Amino acid sequence: MLRLLWSKELKAGLYTWKSLAWLLVTSLIFSVTSYLMLTNRELSLLDQTEMLWLLSKVILSAALLVVVIDSSSLITSEFEQETIECLFLAPLTLKDFVLGKLAVSFTLWALVYLVAAPYVIVTSAGSQLTCAMLGYTALYGSLTVLGFTLLVFAVSFFYRSLRNTLTTSLTVLLASSISALFSSGLKRSAFARALGSINPLDNVFASLDNVLVDYQVSLGRNLSFLLPLVGFCAVMFGFLLLALRAFSRKGITKD
Amino acid sequence: MRTLLLTVSVLALLVFAQRVPAESASPLELRVLSSRTLSGTAGDFVEVVGEIANSSAQATDSITTYLSLVDTGTKMPVDLEDWSAERGLFIGSIDAGQTLPLTWKIHFVQPGAYALAIVAAVEGRDQPIISALTFFKVAAKRNLNPGHVLPVALGEPLLLVFAFLLLKYRRDRKHP
Amino acid sequence: MAEVISASHISKSYGDCKAVDDLSLSVQSGEFFGFLGPNGAGKTTTIRMLTGIMRPDAGTIHIDGHEVRNRQQLSRAIGVLSESRGFYGWMTGEEYLRFFAGLYGIADAERTVSSLLEEVGLGEHKRKTIGAYSRGMEQRLGLARALVNRPQILFLDEPTLGLDPQGQEDVQQLLRRLNQGGATVFYSSHLLHEVSRLCSMVAIINQGRLVATGTLDALERQTGSKDLQSVFFALTNP
Repeated sequence: MLRLLWSKELKAGLYTWKSLAWLLVTSLIFSVTSYLMLTNRELSLLDQTEMLWLLSKVILSAALLVVVIDSSSLITSEFEQETIECLFLAPLTLKDFVLGKLAVSFTLWALVYLVAAPYVIVTSAGSQLTCAMLGYTALYGSLTVLGFTLLVFAVSFFYRSLRNTLTTSLTVLLASSISALFSSGLKRSAFARALGSINPLDNVFASLDNVLVDYQVSLGRNLSFLLPLVGFCAVMFGFLLLALRAFSRKGITKD
Repeated sequence: MRTLLLTVSVLALLVFAQRVPAESASPLELRVLSSRTLSGTAGDFVEVVGEIANSSAQATDSITTYLSLVDTGTKMPVDLEDWSAERGLFIGSIDAGQTLPLTWKIHFVQPGAYALAIVAAVEGRDQPIISALTFFKVAAKRNLNPGHVLPVALGEPLLLVFAFLLLKYRRDRKHP
Repeated sequence: MAEVISASHISKSYGDCKAVDDLSLSVQSGEFFGFLGPNGAGKTTTIRMLTGIMRPDAGTIHIDGHEVRNRQQLSRAIGVLSESRGFYGWMTGEEYLRFFAGLYGIADAERTVSSLLEEVGLGEHKRKTIGAYSRGMEQRLGLARALVNRPQILFLDEPTLGLDPQGQEDVQQLLRRLNQGGATVFYSSHLLHEVSRLCSMVAIINQGRLVATGTLDALERQTGSKDLQSVFFALTNP
């Protein structure tokens, strides 16, 4: 049942060219970014480790943006196209429905990662950081995609509307990125430090800095960054369970 | 102080393109020795070698020497922040008749034509001392394929477009 | 005859508005049961509760002897053509039915899908995308989807809506065949002539309440009317 749903959504993405369009956009972003960075590197304006760190941030940010936007329509489109009733008239459990959609989000992330991998390999050539960069990008990408997708799904079940889901999800994503706008002074403040300790994206970027710039590649040395991310996923999972409970109470068609 | 030095350097370079006449010469002389080896390509790291000579009968104390760079194309001073980590070289004291070497490592950040001078600020003197101008060129680095990224940067988007078209063709053939 | 659909004192409100008010009905196995009512009477809400899409605020519902709690079990026993007519426009008719056949775990999906598409008159259009279907073709596809698991209990909400006269006749004949084969049909429609032709039992709902239930003859005698239309107006517009 899960495989059937996943296959249907995958075909929908391919045959409506949605997924391919996303992959093309991310590929172009990576092409421009890596070209500019390597040009700067040849001018010795950019150290290779800094370049890899920047590239990993671009990859994760682009992937998150794509997955959040695409996932926002995965469930809400079933409500808006009025196909949800037929789905739940069939012997399809809510669990299989959600897991099937989650598998699609992960597939999109996996495809973006596969698109990004050659750029990582080329830009990290000669640095001995290729495996670390690929590994940590996969790990942190998967966890952040999981967390944000669970959030998007929860919001989808609450709102049942693409516009509201997308607005809310993008707002949360932007709020997670807000520390990038802090001045160096504000970054040292207690507020910024507190925010940084729980913000999943801050932890991811700090860990990548630790791995790629400071060469702290072992997982043990990055546990302090990994744990808040796992916590974020757990919180979002709880939020989704709440949303599913509310959905079951309200019924498939809204009153 | 830095802004003052930059402004004075530019004015000095524009107005006094020649050496200062002997009657008003300072006891200190500055020379750029690497003038013939300076030209290069953007991205290169080069060493600017100069010297400071005390031709007077007395020692001179508290001298700070700086590099001053002007873009002769735009006639604008160049902020050396990206070009060199070494700004001022402090010389505590130079004895009478002594000559001391000066070196700066600079990074050619931007292509163009430049004029370089060494400027010395001496404590107690209002006017800085400036060496003769050294002119050099930085050629642009032309590499269309930095880090061999071009096959990936162009190839991947093209591959995706090809996949897109192939899928469309197969779908249209199966379901006219 | 065994009771296959049983609703006992079911109610449903949307805020202050009571859509279904203390409704009880019973459908026997093999019946062709007509369910009539004016717009906003509560027909669709009743069907949604009977098919497990919506939970009633009060009362109990039994389908085929089981209380409507386990939606997965219920969905295998029934086929539903609901009011919601959403489709996946990028899919072909064949792909759509094959998807639902997969959801139901139908063993011989290819053969089932092919024969269903022929039965509903979409054999020629099975390779076209649903986005290119007319309203009538979509309706036929919806009916095919309701039949994909060959259910013994069918809930149909306006099944001939959007069909041309030939299409309506074809669907009616199909439903008659299914009913003669033992399927119970719960048929909701505004088309009184259809209901009077097809249904052996009729229930009429008005303003959320069941106002009458019985055979056509019994209702005509009860209201002193000569046809279903007169019965309908007598009971819904006194």
